[in-house]
Amino acid sequence: MTNPREDIFSRLNSARGTELPQRPFVPPLSEISHDRDRMIRAFTDNLTAQTAVVHHVADFAAAAEKLAEVVAAENIKSVVVSSDAVIRKLDLPEWGRKHNLTVLQAEDCTGREHFKNMVFAEADAAITGADFAIAESGTLCLIHDKDQPRLISLAPIMHIALVPLERLFPVYESAIDRIFGDPHNVPSHVTFITGPSMTADIQGVPFKGMHGPKKLTVILIG
Amino acid sequence: MSSEHRRLPQPSPFRQESYSPGELSGECGKEWQSMKINTNEFVEVAQRELTNKRTRTLLDMISSVVDNLRDSAMSSFPDPSAALEYGRAIRAESLARLPELLDQFEKNAVAHGASVFWARTADEANQFVLDLARKRNIKYVTKGKSMVTEEIGLNDALAADGIDVFEADLGEFIAQLLKRPPFHIVGPAINVPVDEISALFLKKGLIERATQDPVELGAAARRYLRQKFQHLEMGITGVNMAVAETGAIINVENEGNIRFSKSSPKTQVSFMTIEKVVPTMRDAMHLLRLLCRNCTAQKISAYVSMDSGPKKPGEIDGPEELFIVILDNGRSAIYANENLREALRCIRCGACMYGCPIYMKIGGYPYGWAYSGPMGQVVNPLLLGLDRTQHLYRACTLCGKCKSICPGGIDHPKLFLLYRSMDVEGDVQLKGQSRPWLEQKAMNILSCGARRAWHWNAGVKGARPVVNLHARGNVISQMPLLGGWFRCRDLPAVGRKTFRERMKETGQY
Ligand code: SF4
Repeated sequence: MTNPREDIFSRLNSARGTELPQRPFVPPLSEISHDRDRMIRAFTDNLTAQTAVVHHVADFAAAAEKLAEVVAAENIKSVVVSSDAVIRKLDLPEWGRKHNLTVLQAEDCTGREHFKNMVFAEADAAITGADFAIAESGTLCLIHDKDQPRLISLAPIMHIALVPLERLFPVYESAIDRIFGDPHNVPSHVTFITGPSMTADIQGVPFKGMHGPKKLTVILIG
Repeated sequence: MSSEHRRLPQPSPFRQESYSPGELSGECGKEWQSMKINTNEFVEVAQRELTNKRTRTLLDMISSVVDNLRDSAMSSFPDPSAALEYGRAIRAESLARLPELLDQFEKNAVAHGASVFWARTADEANQFVLDLARKRNIKYVTKGKSMVTEEIGLNDALAADGIDVFEADLGEFIAQLLKRPPFHIVGPAINVPVDEISALFLKKGLIERATQDPVELGAAARRYLRQKFQHLEMGITGVNMAVAETGAIINVENEGNIRFSKSSPKTQVSFMTIEKVVPTMRDAMHLLRLLCRNCTAQKISAYVSMDSGPKKPGEIDGPEELFIVILDNGRSAIYANENLREALRCIRCGACMYGCPIYMKIGGYPYGWAYSGPMGQVVNPLLLGLDRTQHLYRACTLCGKCKSICPGGIDHPKLFLLYRSMDVEGDVQLKGQSRPWLEQKAMNILSCGARRAWHWNAGVKGARPVVNLHARGNVISQMPLLGGWFRCRDLPAVGRKTFRERMKETGQY
């Protein structure tokens, strides 16, 4: 039997080629000309439209306070946190001791199962840093690696993301060009997150927290 | 086109019965077969669905809302028509460069550590997953909503081998429990009444007391599927876009079930068909904008996730192995025909369904397979053959709404006309039926008659009294030998004299 790949390619290659169609000009995106304040406004408006809550604070110290406020208001006892550059700046283990919170980290886990149990069963909320934020749709962009495991931002019922403002960009392309710019060094997994997990599959009634978080809170820093 | 790709999925022991037409939106308790191909029951199911009050109310409600939503979502582009045109150009180019892009995609995906498996047929694809699941000793898998796995009957294939498949998208989950086909690509169970879902969940032990609250029902499904996600060993998903430039695969969703299926297990299998590939990441971003606006009228869905290979060393979650199954299933043969190739531009946004006056009257069931609405009318005849999909490409008013909103740049009406003519001509590749002897003869006589004015006049004169023999009152709704034509049409009785005769009588001619 012939090889399926060869079969498929020989059929495709023997098909008559059409002329390569001309592409029109790339349509303009208005967000590209936004200044900082406009980007912040667009990001906030777009994301809050998806029921997320957006706070804006001056610096990391203020962010730690805001974080404690949010966590207290939601009556959260334990948080799982990633350990990327943004989060490390906050020294969350110390912050947790101060506020009497259990702070869970992937690095304390013995392996996948242990970690899964942590995010599925133990953590009331998740705290992550965003690698990029995108104004055009109020989107968080997370690069997943050993410092930012995937399930942290997905399994707990609440997700809190920290965004230093120098990471806020106008459009997807700004983030994509930076992430995929070096083809030999791309992350295994990248997510865009815009609001909490949602569905409207039963009679069109919107429902937040279908599989992932029910609440999303973003703290802009700077 | 070889016939092998059209082989139907084997019936599984769990899905014996086929659904009876029209009862589809009926009461709970009946268990329907989900993916038997029933495209040839279009007329019967459509007739029953037309009288189904629930379907009617739902579709009427949707049609008044959805088009406006979509319009306003599109108007969030600074220049909506330029955005649409650019998307169409990307899809046209993707197809024009298909072999080259697929090759580039594969190279890059493999360079990131993914394993690419090519499948000519549904069977080859199913067999691959079965073998893999057996080798990994898999007891169950979760599946994100994906049309291609419906197309190949993957659930049945796995179930027949004793592997449980849990549809993880809420709508698909409900449709699966009901053993019913999806009603719509975006909301597969949007038509199922709350009390029916409640009764179903009660029966399956997902809830303890009946409820009319969709949110409570959603939460019950969440609890149930969460267990599955936590202990998941193998997750299966589709692919919205595959990017040649980087080898990344992209999924678009709102619920997070696809993210779970790609993050929790050690093994990830992602299914795509050959036409899913696009040239660059920037192209993918532009199509993403169009897809979401057209699909659910969102600027972007809640989650978009992109994989480039399995997890890297040191990462604690994510798959240790990532398999990308690239499926042909007849598409390379479609590709060979330049006229038909256009159908492969579809990005599965679902806009054409909400725009279609036919779909909005009958809903998704009559189309009888994974793909419904104008999208199904375009794709199903190519995948199943013209003979089994007669009613699909004939059930069209040629209004052109689908074409005007399609971000893929598909000219649906043109393709329907092409299918009709290929069918009449008895196209071999697509199993065209040609027409019965009698009809062919009638057409010959007609064309002979139409060639000379005196032929025509004589014919019309002679035919008039004969035709009028069948008038009831002033309406002709039935005529021997022309039953099919009159099935959904009435003619007024023919006047005693022609227009020209009367003109002559008044002396003005
Ligand atoms: S045919 Fe066009 S409008 Fe319909 S689902 Fe496909 S891309 Fe969307």
